[in-house]
Amino acid sequence: MQDDNAPISRRKFAEELERYRKGSVSRRHFLGVTGLGTAMAVMAGAMPMLRPRGAHAADLGDRAVLATWPNYHDVENFAIFQKETGVATQVNVFGSNEEMLAKLQAGGSGWDVFVPTNYTITTYVDADLIEPLDLSKLPNYDAAAFDARFADAGTVNGKLYAVPKNWGTTGMAWDSTKAKAPFTSWKEFFDLTMTDFSGRTMVHDYQLTTIGNALKYYGYSFNSVDPKELADAEKLLLQVKPHLFAISSDYQPSMRNGDAWMTMCWTGEGKQMNRDIPEIHFALGKEGGEIWSDYYAIPKNAPHREAAYALINFLIDPQVNAREATAHGFPVADSRVNALLPKEVLADPILYPAADLLNVQEFGAAATLTDPNRAELMARFKSA
Amino acid sequence: MTKARARWLLLGPAGLWYAALLVLPLAVVLVYSLGERAPAGGYAPALTLAQYANLGSRWTAFQNTLVLAPVGTLAALLIAYPLAYFLAVKSNPRWRTALLVLVIVPFWTSILIRSYAWIFLLGGRGIPALLADLGLGDIRLINTPFAVLVGIVYGYLPLMVFPIYVSLERLDKRLLEASSDLGAPPWRSFLQVTLPLSLPGVATGSMLVFILLMGEYLIPQMLGGGKVFFVGNALVDLFLQSRNWAFGSAMAVTLVAVMLVTVTLYMRFLSRIGAARDDVGLM
Amino acid sequence: MAYAEGGETIAEFVDTTKRFGKVLAADRLNLKIGKGEFLSFLGPSGCGKTTALRMLAGFEPPTEGRILIDGQDIGAEPAHRRPVNMVFQHYALFPHMTVAENVGYGLRQRRPKLAKDDIAARVARALDTVRLGDFGPRRIWEMSGGQQQRVALARAIVNEPKILLLDEPMAALDAKLRGQMQMELLSLQRKLGITFILVTHDQQEALSMSDRICIMGKGRISQIGTPRELYDRPANRYVADFVGRANILPGTVIRNIGEHALVRLASNHDVVVEAPRPVSPGDKVDIAIRPEALRLGTAAEPGLPDITATVAHMTFLGEHVEYLLRHPDLGELQVMVPRQAERALPGVDVGTQLHVLWDQGNGLILGQD
Repeated sequence: MQDDNAPISRRKFAEELERYRKGSVSRRHFLGVTGLGTAMAVMAGAMPMLRPRGAHAADLGDRAVLATWPNYHDVENFAIFQKETGVATQVNVFGSNEEMLAKLQAGGSGWDVFVPTNYTITTYVDADLIEPLDLSKLPNYDAAAFDARFADAGTVNGKLYAVPKNWGTTGMAWDSTKAKAPFTSWKEFFDLTMTDFSGRTMVHDYQLTTIGNALKYYGYSFNSVDPKELADAEKLLLQVKPHLFAISSDYQPSMRNGDAWMTMCWTGEGKQMNRDIPEIHFALGKEGGEIWSDYYAIPKNAPHREAAYALINFLIDPQVNAREATAHGFPVADSRVNALLPKEVLADPILYPAADLLNVQEFGAAATLTDPNRAELMARFKSA
Repeated sequence: MTKARARWLLLGPAGLWYAALLVLPLAVVLVYSLGERAPAGGYAPALTLAQYANLGSRWTAFQNTLVLAPVGTLAALLIAYPLAYFLAVKSNPRWRTALLVLVIVPFWTSILIRSYAWIFLLGGRGIPALLADLGLGDIRLINTPFAVLVGIVYGYLPLMVFPIYVSLERLDKRLLEASSDLGAPPWRSFLQVTLPLSLPGVATGSMLVFILLMGEYLIPQMLGGGKVFFVGNALVDLFLQSRNWAFGSAMAVTLVAVMLVTVTLYMRFLSRIGAARDDVGLM
Repeated sequence: MAYAEGGETIAEFVDTTKRFGKVLAADRLNLKIGKGEFLSFLGPSGCGKTTALRMLAGFEPPTEGRILIDGQDIGAEPAHRRPVNMVFQHYALFPHMTVAENVGYGLRQRRPKLAKDDIAARVARALDTVRLGDFGPRRIWEMSGGQQQRVALARAIVNEPKILLLDEPMAALDAKLRGQMQMELLSLQRKLGITFILVTHDQQEALSMSDRICIMGKGRISQIGTPRELYDRPANRYVADFVGRANILPGTVIRNIGEHALVRLASNHDVVVEAPRPVSPGDKVDIAIRPEALRLGTAAEPGLPDITATVAHMTFLGEHVEYLLRHPDLGELQVMVPRQAERALPGVDVGTQLHVLWDQGNGLILGQD
């Protein structure tokens, strides 16, 4: 979640986009900065020439509106989709799940497909904002091909509401030249922050992960909302705060120029930094931590429902999805896709950690995100 | 056309604008501030002062804001005044427009991009590395209140420079000749003529910068590393992260109130100088 | 008080030159200003008169030459250290101060500092002098143009300067008020005995107020003299044209007659005119004669050249009637006829032929410009 909503010029936007592509800005930061969530929607609606005009669009309509995260698709695929079906895809990009939720709650989003993260799906179901998927319209979906961990959240009350897109983890990245030994746990992360890495560590400006990982220090659940456990986490965070370099989810610039030596880090960004600066290593906490999974879902009252099904079905086609994965680099839960990906990608320990490490990670829970006590704890931590 | 109708025609658009974009939202915020947080975030109707009672939990944010906003304004003033003076009085008129444009050029770029530049400049490989080469040891600049101050002064400098420039530029140069003719050396002419006559520009610039600083959140976020927490940051968190709209509204109302009080005090102070200095503020 | 050679000199320009880039604003000015004198710099805009004043005040350093005050070269002294004060064209009063604060400004700059009540007393006296005794606490913008003018005056004289500089101080006033202020200024100067230097483009103002006038043109001093000298004996065509009005006619010197000369006009008429400079027979010269020095008649007069011209225009001016006549060889001639004398010209109208009567000794030979 990012809070930088300053207006931005088109040129600056292009620069920011470039920086994002080079990996120096996180996707959340990028979206907050550019205000893309709203801007893209407005632009797409206001510019008629962007609207497709397919000749054979009789059944599906001429377009589908996709609300997703930035740099999360292969644009080539949308062109192919349009060629095959006559349906043009309008892409709206967003910065946070909260923003997506707010937009859908407000109504009239005009979306046909969107990409919620695992822990938000029950909230959408409870608020009656999404509809169960009709599997007959998704012949490319093969439940058996998916690792259940990354597919489960799509099913609520026995009904399938969402199909998996990609997954990832939240671990720690550090400058290996500054560390005596590789980091393996959140205990080490916080303990060394108060000693060897004092003034050099960054934690996310995001309660889910920052509090979650502090809870892991004590071995509590990443998702705990237990007041006593949260009090312990708060004590740790307040103790650590004077030793922090920054509380920010935009950690790449500081990590890359050497101001920060260690940070909480999302998989993809860990990979990006490691690729450019091999001294920056990435690992998961052995006590556990966050694992997440994104899904495709269709909102209630989607204006182009048939096109929405066609688009999802197209995107989860293993061939198409393999191209997607090659373009954005995030791990895929579909074994059919993984079979098509190069060996070295699947062997990458950052993207595909060892099973024993992965098994202890926890998915964020809906209650974790919305819990008022955790929000207040984070605020106290930040303003301390 | 009657006078009354003319008045309505003249004030109507602005009135509607204010009503729609200022009064209405403020009223909404006021109502929200008396409510509660809905279980899953957002606003739930209620009639309670509980949110206001909780304001103490954000004391640091108020403290940081109420210290750094005036200090930042003052620092901007101290840097802007000589610059504006140079531009308006000392610079070659042929280059003046070009120089003025140079002052605004940074404004053509998003404050965000400029803040990134400062992140690098104040970061370990920027100015501190330079200072270390000079033997000044390990100086940490980025993510400190100082870095926030630098960002503030840098970001808001043009807003301070321009009103002062205008008041200095409009200043009748013959007044300075008169002062000199009457026996005042240049520095005393400056203190007795230039400075008091440029006070309206100083007042405008300071007010602009101060009010904007009170609501600032981007610069503390970026250059303070999330550790220099302003009221603006607290607000953004409350609305976008914890989605406690009621508490956020209570804080916003309080911020507006604090701002009203400080601005009123400042105006009083100005008019007090003004009274002594012949109502300069009204000129 | 006229300045006489050998009298006490308060200020002096010595070969003082000022260039603004390529523009020569003041070209080798040489001028002595007497103590207690009322001197005017007169000339059209751009003639260098304001530059001369500003160099004296210290706002413009001379490019070459010197400026002396009381025998001291003050060319390098900044304005705030010169014993002169100025009344500015648009007064340049401090808008953020009251009338009294404006007037006391100069006194407050004195070092060592003057006592507060001393300043107050002097300010009150100065305000009384300009008849603004009760206006001390007023704001500047509450004052009328004429009152502001007096505040500016009081602000300058309160410092008891050696020289008071006045830069077109009455230009912004209406005609009636201007006349009144001129009289007040004059009596003030007599009372204070301070040297006044006035810059003006208004010849009436200069003529009526000054002990001496310094006529300037194109950065140079054209002529310095008392108003009478300038009027009666303009040194050249420029002065003759600028001070009062004159008929200027070319001619050839026939012979010298003492301090006079016989000159033949283009119309072959011979006239006797003053010769302030030595001339020789055969010299081509310009002759100036004031319109009031010519007479008109219905017949020629014996002993005077018979110049016949046609009335082209008549302007009734009250006490006088101005006639414009045309002569085939001499061109236009202006003649000022008193009402009384006009009675001798009954039935004259445009187109009437009249005799222009040029009495011997009227008119003079001009010098080179």
